[in-house]
Amino acid sequence: MKCPKNKHLIGSVITLILILIVSLFFMSRMVENSRMETDLDEYMPYDHPAFIFSDQAEEIFNINDGILIAVENKEGIYNPSTLKKIKDITRKLQKMEEINKDDVTSLYTAENIVGTEGSLDVNEFYNKIPQTEEALQKLRDDVRSNEMVFKRIVSENEEIALIVAAIDDDVFTIEFYHAILDLAKSYEGPEILHVAGVPIVEGTLAYLAPKDMMIMVPIVIAVIILVLYFVMRSVRNTIFTLMVVLFSTIWSFGLMALLDIPIYSLSTMIPVMLIAIGVADGIHLYSHLDLYLFEHPDAKKLDAAKDMIKGMWKPVVMTSVTTAVGFVSLLTSDVYPIKYFGLFTAFGVMMAMVFSLVLIPAAIIVFGLPRRKVHQEKSKEESGKFSYKFAEWTVKFKLLVISATAIIIVVSVIGINKVWINSSFLDKFEKDSDIVQTDTFINQHFGGTNTLNVILDSDEQDKFKEPEVQRLIDKMQNDVESIDVVGNSFSLADYIKRMNKVMNADDDAYNIIPNSQDLIAQYLLLYEMSGDPDNLWKVVDYDYKKANINVQLKSDNSKEVNRAIEKLDKYKVEFAKHNVNIEYAGSGYKALVFTDLILEGQIKSLLLSLLLIIVLLSIMFKKLSIGLIGSIPITITAVISFGLMGLLNIPLSTTTALISSIAVGIGIDYAVHFIERYKIYALESGDKELTIKETMHHSGRAISFNAIVVIAGFLVLLFSVFPPNRSLGALISLNMFTSFLGTVTIMFLVLYKSNVYFKKKRNEDANK
Amino acid sequence: MKLRNVLTLTLLTAAIFSISLYAQEELNGKKIIENVYYRPTGDDATSDLTMTLINSRGDERVREIQQFSKDYGKDEKSIMFFLSPADVRNTSFMNWSYDEEGRDDDQWIYLPALKKVKRISSDSKSDYFMGSDFAYDDLGDRHPSEDIHKLLREETINGDDCYVVESISKEEDYMYSKTVVWVSKDKWIGLKKEFYDEDGDHLKNLTVKKYDKIDGFWTILHSEMHNIQKNHRTIMKLKDLKLNTGIDDNMFTERMMKRGI
Repeated sequence: MKCPKNKHLIGSVITLILILIVSLFFMSRMVENSRMETDLDEYMPYDHPAFIFSDQAEEIFNINDGILIAVENKEGIYNPSTLKKIKDITRKLQKMEEINKDDVTSLYTAENIVGTEGSLDVNEFYNKIPQTEEALQKLRDDVRSNEMVFKRIVSENEEIALIVAAIDDDVFTIEFYHAILDLAKSYEGPEILHVAGVPIVEGTLAYLAPKDMMIMVPIVIAVIILVLYFVMRSVRNTIFTLMVVLFSTIWSFGLMALLDIPIYSLSTMIPVMLIAIGVADGIHLYSHLDLYLFEHPDAKKLDAAKDMIKGMWKPVVMTSVTTAVGFVSLLTSDVYPIKYFGLFTAFGVMMAMVFSLVLIPAAIIVFGLPRRKVHQEKSKEESGKFSYKFAEWTVKFKLLVISATAIIIVVSVIGINKVWINSSFLDKFEKDSDIVQTDTFINQHFGGTNTLNVILDSDEQDKFKEPEVQRLIDKMQNDVESIDVVGNSFSLADYIKRMNKVMNADDDAYNIIPNSQDLIAQYLLLYEMSGDPDNLWKVVDYDYKKANINVQLKSDNSKEVNRAIEKLDKYKVEFAKHNVNIEYAGSGYKALVFTDLILEGQIKSLLLSLLLIIVLLSIMFKKLSIGLIGSIPITITAVISFGLMGLLNIPLSTTTALISSIAVGIGIDYAVHFIERYKIYALESGDKELTIKETMHHSGRAISFNAIVVIAGFLVLLFSVFPPNRSLGALISLNMFTSFLGTVTIMFLVLYKSNVYFKKKRNEDANK
Repeated sequence: MKLRNVLTLTLLTAAIFSISLYAQEELNGKKIIENVYYRPTGDDATSDLTMTLINSRGDERVREIQQFSKDYGKDEKSIMFFLSPADVRNTSFMNWSYDEEGRDDDQWIYLPALKKVKRISSDSKSDYFMGSDFAYDDLGDRHPSEDIHKLLREETINGDDCYVVESISKEEDYMYSKTVVWVSKDKWIGLKKEFYDEDGDHLKNLTVKKYDKIDGFWTILHSEMHNIQKNHRTIMKLKDLKLNTGIDDNMFTERMMKRGI
């Protein structure tokens, strides 16, 4: 008797030590080799046609997102001090390593196309700071009379001047972000400086999101530990359950480091997922142990551990495999960080399974059984009573449950039709945050902080010297500018109109596209000879085969951007008559395409995982009906999750779209545990009433614990200062709750009504 | 648009220099640059200029220009006509420049599509010639007294013995922080030049690809300016260059601008 006991003890100790050693190895890999990948561009599917086109256009026209620095002086900007600040900031930006000298636009660098003695000249607005009243007044008049500058880089009230620094996608770092903010700050007083623009919004996001997570995740974990302890009522159980989570996380990240895969911001969700999933195994194992000890108060620890594994290995394996499969389905995504997220979470889930089945029993053998507290029995009695009652009620009020479910599903389906996806970065911030306020402020006074690039493309050389084509461009610009969200737009047509006007004695009647193609060509030649032709190559290419229209938008909200695109798309037919195609480019447009792709990918992987899970469950339980019944809670969860977002007008984003797919992976566990327990009791007792009561007591109890722990943990995120993290918390909590509720109500009812595991028995009885 | 300089110096015609005149004098940086600047040129010149602009992606644009210039002692007149591309054919520019201090050049343009000759002002923002990589100053417009010159060393380029001279502007806000030029010792023409921008970064390289003695004058026939920062190039080639043919004074009139080639 002693010998095998010792054998088990030694084996357990060795197992624990081995796990610890391998974990330490992975830990060391992690420390040495892990690297963060913060560049959001890494998420982009470069081989997508829309992306290839946009990237080409960006290269041709030097399209880049601009950092906007607004210099505001309530007394007006036309004084030597403010003008000097504009010049100094411009020069400083031009000298920054991350910024190309030619990519900074301000009143200091802007060119003034003017008519002199009836002809065209391109001057600068100022170089040396104007000091005299006359000089300042002249500058003011120059700006007022130039619609290529007025209201574009100088506000209509003449109190704000804009400095725009376009930067390449790949130069943005947190240090650069702070350098820009510091630079602006150093010029404060009496002028007020505002910093905005897409790179700043993205930068703030990249800076704030992880910072907020760094504060919130420890609190989430602390709350989970606390609630875990509360439901388990044992420090030891809590610690070992957490060990499972910790080790699986370390192994996941260690393997990532070993394979030299960087940690994307999305990968920081992996521990969050593993907490939500990993604690489930522990809860179910210890819950089983508790019930066993309740029924066998004098059991030895080895027998208890054995019974625990015997009774639970199947559901633990099944839940883990189904969950892992749910995550593996993310491999269908076009986006590498999502693929890696799916893969390594799946790996972590499998590891959590191994640790649960090895570490927890080994720990029981090495450290002994958890101490049972006296008051536990009482609470167990109560919970048992409640479980029994709950099972009875559910069956009794089945019509109510079914009709409530039906109503919820119908309402959700209506909601799903209203779901929209938002690629906006700005909408991720609080409405009253500095960054949103600055953006609103600049949008009030200027064309817009966001740009949509309309790329017109033709095979014919000199196509964009044709008057008809330019006139159509002009018409399209006027049309799109009539939408609220569009502040203004800028194209080759604006150059041609300006030149036609100044060549005709500044007569506004000539602020139109001239009729002669040769004249347009000659104007452009004249401009090239007098101005900086580089500016021209931002709106047209060398051969005049391609043109770029900059449409300034006051919002990056997908609905608004799509409204502009809809308007522009209407011109496709007319441009086609001239053999010109309309396409779009720029970071905002790419974000739009990208989110659409993600949504499409998510729906695909969601359906795939659902299918795979049904197949897996059918195989595991050797019954197709079980596969279908088991998928009920997760289907309801997904439907409600999307439906609620539609009804509450919460747009989908890259994170929220992912959560529904994650919920499927996690939610399936509840169903599997429940069905497995139901099956065991059914085959054991053959008594349907007893089976549903016991199942509800054993499995329902553990499931509710699991749900409470995860929900409590993620509800903490509701106190985050960062809206996306709040919706993350709310959605995961909601999904866990609906999964749980769906399992113990509607799925339970269907299971009960379907008579699976009872028919067979009856048939067998009959045969006998 | 200082066409006088464009013409005289895109041609970059150089008289055979009488070395004896300067042989005894000590050659410092300033003297070398002055020798280049004051090098005698022919009385008049006619040529076809082909200008090829190449951007960083390798896209090319070619312009052909016929140009005439005539020296009137202190003053100089020049006119140029676009031959191609077709849509700007016969667009013409005329420039009269005066030696008189403080007197701006008179300039006119003629756009055939407008059928009108218009005067244009000469203080445009752009320092660049025809949207090319050549600044007007690069074409010889800049007076030696505007810079401080320093002879750095002597070097041989493709068999030509050269002085290497560094020039730094006296004016603070000048577009170049410095330039370095390789001047041929016996021809007094710059064969190579480096340009550094306001911030001291290397901006451009000028390379002379081909030069020859035409009608007794050393002339650069093929040169390339490479803007390193933008990776943009301009190639200038001269053909059918004729010097001292006795161009009629009527060539430099508004009537001629309208008539075209």
